[in-house]
Amino acid sequence: MKLMTTPLRKLVCAVAIAGTAGVSMTSHAQEDCPVPGNLRVVIGSTSTGGDTYQNSSIVADHLAKKLDINAKVDAVGAMAGFRALDRSRNGNTVMIFHDQAYLGNLYGVKGYDNIFEKYTVGPTVAINPGNAYLVPKDSPYQNIDEVIAAAGEGEEIRVAIQPGGVSEIGFSALKNAVKLKHPGMEKNVVAVNTGSQADKNQLLFDDMADVINGSVQANEQYTRLPEDDQKAMRFVWLTARNDTIKQTNEEGMGKTTREDLLQYVNPNVTVPQSESQNFTFDKEFFFLYNKDMDPKLVSCIDNALEEIYAQGDIQEQQKKSFFIPNFKPSSEAQAYLKDKRDQYATIIENIQ
Amino acid sequence: MEFLSYLSPMFFTLIAAGALIGVIFGAIPGMTATMAVAVCLPLTYALDLTNGLALLLGLYVGGISGGMVPAVLLNIPGTPSSITTTFDGYPMAKKGEGERALKISIVASLFGGLFSAGVLFYFAPVLADFAIKFSYVEKFLIIFLALTVIASLTKNMLMGIFSGVLGVWLSLIGTYEITDGGNGETRLMFDFMEYYLVAGFSLLPVLIGIFGITTILQDAEKGFKGDAASPTIKLTKGSRFSFSVFKGQLVNLVRSSSIGTFVGMLPGVGGSAASVLAYTQEKNFSRDSSQMGNGAPQGLVASESSNNALTGGALVPLLSLGIPGDSTTAILIGAFTLQGIQVGPLFIGDNLDTWYIMIAALVIANFLMFGIMFFAIKYIAKVIEVPKHLLYPIIVMMCVVGAYAINYGIMFDVWTLLIFGVFGYIATKVGLELVPLIIGFILGSSAEVYFVKSLESYGNLTIFFTKSPIAVFLWCLIVLSLAFSIFLKVRARKKESFASYS
Repeated sequence: MKLMTTPLRKLVCAVAIAGTAGVSMTSHAQEDCPVPGNLRVVIGSTSTGGDTYQNSSIVADHLAKKLDINAKVDAVGAMAGFRALDRSRNGNTVMIFHDQAYLGNLYGVKGYDNIFEKYTVGPTVAINPGNAYLVPKDSPYQNIDEVIAAAGEGEEIRVAIQPGGVSEIGFSALKNAVKLKHPGMEKNVVAVNTGSQADKNQLLFDDMADVINGSVQANEQYTRLPEDDQKAMRFVWLTARNDTIKQTNEEGMGKTTREDLLQYVNPNVTVPQSESQNFTFDKEFFFLYNKDMDPKLVSCIDNALEEIYAQGDIQEQQKKSFFIPNFKPSSEAQAYLKDKRDQYATIIENIQ
Repeated sequence: MEFLSYLSPMFFTLIAAGALIGVIFGAIPGMTATMAVAVCLPLTYALDLTNGLALLLGLYVGGISGGMVPAVLLNIPGTPSSITTTFDGYPMAKKGEGERALKISIVASLFGGLFSAGVLFYFAPVLADFAIKFSYVEKFLIIFLALTVIASLTKNMLMGIFSGVLGVWLSLIGTYEITDGGNGETRLMFDFMEYYLVAGFSLLPVLIGIFGITTILQDAEKGFKGDAASPTIKLTKGSRFSFSVFKGQLVNLVRSSSIGTFVGMLPGVGGSAASVLAYTQEKNFSRDSSQMGNGAPQGLVASESSNNALTGGALVPLLSLGIPGDSTTAILIGAFTLQGIQVGPLFIGDNLDTWYIMIAALVIANFLMFGIMFFAIKYIAKVIEVPKHLLYPIIVMMCVVGAYAINYGIMFDVWTLLIFGVFGYIATKVGLELVPLIIGFILGSSAEVYFVKSLESYGNLTIFFTKSPIAVFLWCLIVLSLAFSIFLKVRARKKESFASYS
């Protein structure tokens, strides 16, 4: 008995060949890009309302669509994130974090190892340009130069920061600048260690700090309050590079335009890092992988992100959320971040 | 009134869905309102701000309210702020009045939620200005006031205070963070424990372990043979719910809701302090509080109205200062920033429509939560009729899942659950009191942080007495609270000796 007619047989053969080819192509693609179907993206913050979560969600969503996988961002915090990374040799878990990852190590915070030795540093994806320093609106200091000069003249300047990372690096730079301009007077710049932004603001309201670390996003509305309001503040310094601020949307943040923001960065504000260089700091987000993760997966994520950034949608979304798109593939990012780390290490050493 | 055009059927559907999912999260031990909002936050990416807020506020109100269900029926607080609900809710459930206790709690929750929404609507900017007058010193004194509850909740004063101190000690295990005034090193542990205890014990696994697993172990000791195998509690046994139970409770409702709203306004103080404070104030200042702790509706009213009032309270600093009042509102910031909206001191003026939408969503969420829970409760309350040998394994499974999920998959949290379950069982055997212990655990670390920060900022102890008129007022409340606790103990002892004499 003939089981199949000739046309049907041809069709089955064609489907089988196409199927085999498809399978071999898929397995070939799988070999080139051994990305897991479910990718866990841990972040170094426990907050799902902060910039790390927001930016990581944007990147993870685009990556998931591009690679046709599920990607889930978990706000586990730095310690739990590093541990999850330690356990994930197969690349099921990757981490997105920012400069805190190496600054924590420079400042000797417990649990922060040298990321350049312990992990594989992956691509950078964005910058948060908003790291800022503020004073009360009725402060006698009109700008950061006056703050440095006051410290040089022997006045104590209390700076509210969250120690051990992004918040402290600007403080260290300020101290270093006072040391360069007024050697021996850097002791007048004193850190008031605290935690959340709410605590830093409260210290300013209570007159327990002269300068606080904050951000354009969190503090912009406070800068628009009338001077007689106890809560009113003024920006005196944005640590971002001039080029970074120039890339923000023209409307800036809230009612503070890009032009307004440019007043608080180099060259209008100068915080010397050395004889020939000014200090700037961009808070950059990047991937971290387990050291044993398949290098093919590293390049697979690099390639996927390269295509995503070439397409352009992600930039629009990041800019809308006040991030500056900043894709650098892994190898470039590693060299760049290492250099950045070394520069800040010098500042920290200088003031010790 | 342009905002009314935003109130579409979708808006109402999302609030209802949020409230329902929130209630389910709150009702599962270990799952919280915060977790419900965090899990559903990515869903709002596909929604506009109005509908996103509708979903998230529904989840928030539902999640806070759902915590009452396991607190009343199983003696396990679904959320940390429902601890005090267990004090009277579970004894009522044991008397067969589970449905009645839940209905009292739901009505009190509705009142608390609406009260705080009203306060938020009318007084948010003024209250935010008042809240920033609370520095480290005043925050420490509020927590200290909440800790005085230990004196009024103990059966044996000395043992109670010892248990409270033990709770504080347990809360200090972990890294003494530099941000908290510490040295960044781990403390109160051996070196080999560092890997697990670097962040200390997580609150929820401790809470569920001490309340849930301990109760199960105690029942297991009695055995499940014979009568114990079938339910001993019948829902019909107790008295039925009637609104007349709220007669004479207006002062309690308003006071507890005010406490909840006010504590919610203070970032960093924590929701548990609100229900604990409200419960103590009712115990100390009501005409007759002799039945509190044994199944008195007034205890439920105090606890539930205050913890639902947290919702509006925690939104005050969020919408007037851009500072979240609690962990759940911290996630709401994500929903705003995603839509490109800044929260801060000018938020209300700059975004009037969004402001009205939020108030409307909060009020509607409270009513929908009430509708969902009030009419579903007679079915939910039947949980208590399930034989324990079937019920307990399910509870243990839920506790384990909740503990594992609370920090996105930390296995040590499951061990914490077990460790504190066994610890609670042994502690009761040696006469320790679990309620003061857990209150000490919840409030201990914040008390330390604000105490150390106050000293760090002002450099002397006298500042606690002289910082501000608010500090003096709080000291008066602390003294009154302690005096009332001692007075009530003495009066109860006299009554006891008089009864035994006659």
